Amino acid sequence: MIEHVGQALALLASWKVLLTIAICSVYGLFVGAIPGLTATMAAALLVPFTFFMDPLSSLVAIVTMSAMAIFAGDIPAALVRIPGTPSSAAYTDDSYELTKQGKAELVLGVDLVTSAIGGLMGAVVLMVAAPLLAEVALRFTSFEYFWLAALGLSATVMIASSVPLKAGLALLVGLFFSTIGVDITLGYPRFTFGTIELLNGVDFIPAMIGLFGVSEVLRNMGSATLSFPIAPVKAETIFRGLAQTLWRYKANMARAGLIGTFIGILPGAGADIAAWIAYAVARRFSREPEKFGKGAIEPIVDAGTANNACLAGDWVPALVFGIPGDSITAIVIGILFMKGLRPGPMVFEQQPQLVYAVYLSFIVANLLMIPFGYAAIKASGAMLRVPRNILMPAILMFCVVGAFAINNSLADVGMMLAMGVFGYFLEANGIPVAPIVLGMVLGPILEQNFMVSMIKTEWDLTQFFRRPVALVLGGLTILVWLTPLYPWLAGWGRRRARLS
Amino acid sequence: MKISDTVVGASFVAAGALIVTGTLGYPTLDGGHPGPALFPRILGTLMVALGAGLALQGIRTRDATQAVEWRRLHRNVGVVNALFVLGGVLAYLGLVERLGFLISGTLLLFLLMWRLRVPLLRALVVAIVFNATVHFLFAKILRVPLPLGLLWW
Repeated sequence: MIEHVGQALALLASWKVLLTIAICSVYGLFVGAIPGLTATMAAALLVPFTFFMDPLSSLVAIVTMSAMAIFAGDIPAALVRIPGTPSSAAYTDDSYELTKQGKAELVLGVDLVTSAIGGLMGAVVLMVAAPLLAEVALRFTSFEYFWLAALGLSATVMIASSVPLKAGLALLVGLFFSTIGVDITLGYPRFTFGTIELLNGVDFIPAMIGLFGVSEVLRNMGSATLSFPIAPVKAETIFRGLAQTLWRYKANMARAGLIGTFIGILPGAGADIAAWIAYAVARRFSREPEKFGKGAIEPIVDAGTANNACLAGDWVPALVFGIPGDSITAIVIGILFMKGLRPGPMVFEQQPQLVYAVYLSFIVANLLMIPFGYAAIKASGAMLRVPRNILMPAILMFCVVGAFAINNSLADVGMMLAMGVFGYFLEANGIPVAPIVLGMVLGPILEQNFMVSMIKTEWDLTQFFRRPVALVLGGLTILVWLTPLYPWLAGWGRRRARLS
Repeated sequence: MKISDTVVGASFVAAGALIVTGTLGYPTLDGGHPGPALFPRILGTLMVALGAGLALQGIRTRDATQAVEWRRLHRNVGVVNALFVLGGVLAYLGLVERLGFLISGTLLLFLLMWRLRVPLLRALVVAIVFNATVHFLFAKILRVPLPLGLLWW
């Protein structure tokens, strides 16, 4: 193991990777801090660049960018009462109330340090859990993989969404996209309308850029000339009195770190869900639950820790099973496929340095978060004042060129535009787009493993419950489908639906 | 662009039905077991079911998001701006091979910034500088063959 850590460190220490880390940190902080732009969009726009990087740098780029973006989302939550990314939505009200009481520095200090601590906790769990799970995963057959994919899809719809019916429809759209092209059993072309372009299926990358990049530009076009009052903040004093506050809530941090990581490991649920659940748990066990939502620091500690812890957790199923933990890791899996790498337990044996590099980059990113985050808070006024009416066209340009760069094809740009309009339309009608990506990534896993299982057992469905692990995973999937029967889960879903 | 859940649900029912009919001619595996058709058929059927659920929900809550809003659509700044993006990128796609990236990209940026009320001179300068930067980054550093068109750089 030490040898692999050494190798990974050597890989990370090259000037190219260090430069990538620095650029992606700034990029992540900027995108995260701009309301309306999400970490997922940032990841989708990074993809064309990762096309020209080696696999290691591209993984490091995404890890660093996402960690920084999820923290930076807290900045506008505290200063303008708009969460920078959905992951900060849970505690936006509390943050802004405290800012109004003149405590913006305390809020941002807590945001910054809890983000880093949460991220480090998640990284530790990732380092412990992933290799252990990979050992188990080596013995998995098509039955277990089928159930894992089914569990991921079910969690996406039933737990990760406050509108299961609409999320289910989005998921079906994604799964349908994954069926376009040559089929696995007979090599029969499906839904290609006689074109050659569709034989290989819907190209993942232009679709991603469209769904997350273009649709966000379209959505922001209406508010592109808006400006909002920005509360001033003295960055120099954010660490003052911080240690006492954090020490007081040390148990909260530990709990939230674990909750966040666990939600991350659950396929399909990302950092925003982690924050909401940590918030709900914090209120349940708090001595002063009546203060929540009215300017309490406690939920900020909890949810701020959980959303960053979740990021590392998301990588556990992605690395071990090739099943994305959220929409960002879904994009990561797309990148790995593009590089000819198949995530799964074999990666741990064949390319351990890649896995260790992911671990290390989580640690590096979360340590760097303190100085970089401090600088971002110092520059927050300028960042939030970047004219949106120039920024949106600029992002669109990156989408257009990025989609073209993958295959040097204008048809891809057309596909990106169509997906962008489609995503915009869906979101305007309250249908989330993230399940589409998960469907596109999980669709082939689900179908292939189902067909393989059916053919090898000669269509005996009972075989899906014969192996112990398959039975457990199948049972869990069914439990997830029964979640509407657990009222405490419905509680935060309603609150979330109301706020969003 | 919010339309009623009833209509959205009904469109999903139609889409699901189309998917299922699309698979009717697909070949089967040995022994008559469904092969390529199985998965899309399940998806199509589920789409019909969930779409019908959404439509019913819309009817039950009397969701009538409404012809009225549609008539005012041209006054909805967000929608008009979004149409500018759509038209702009389509025009870009039509022009880029003839005019090249440097010209058509600049035009696209300028059009959108003009629409978003950036002062004209600033919009022009930003469009030229930003587009040239993107060109340098992608065409020169990453060596993406962006269409050259009229300009040879």
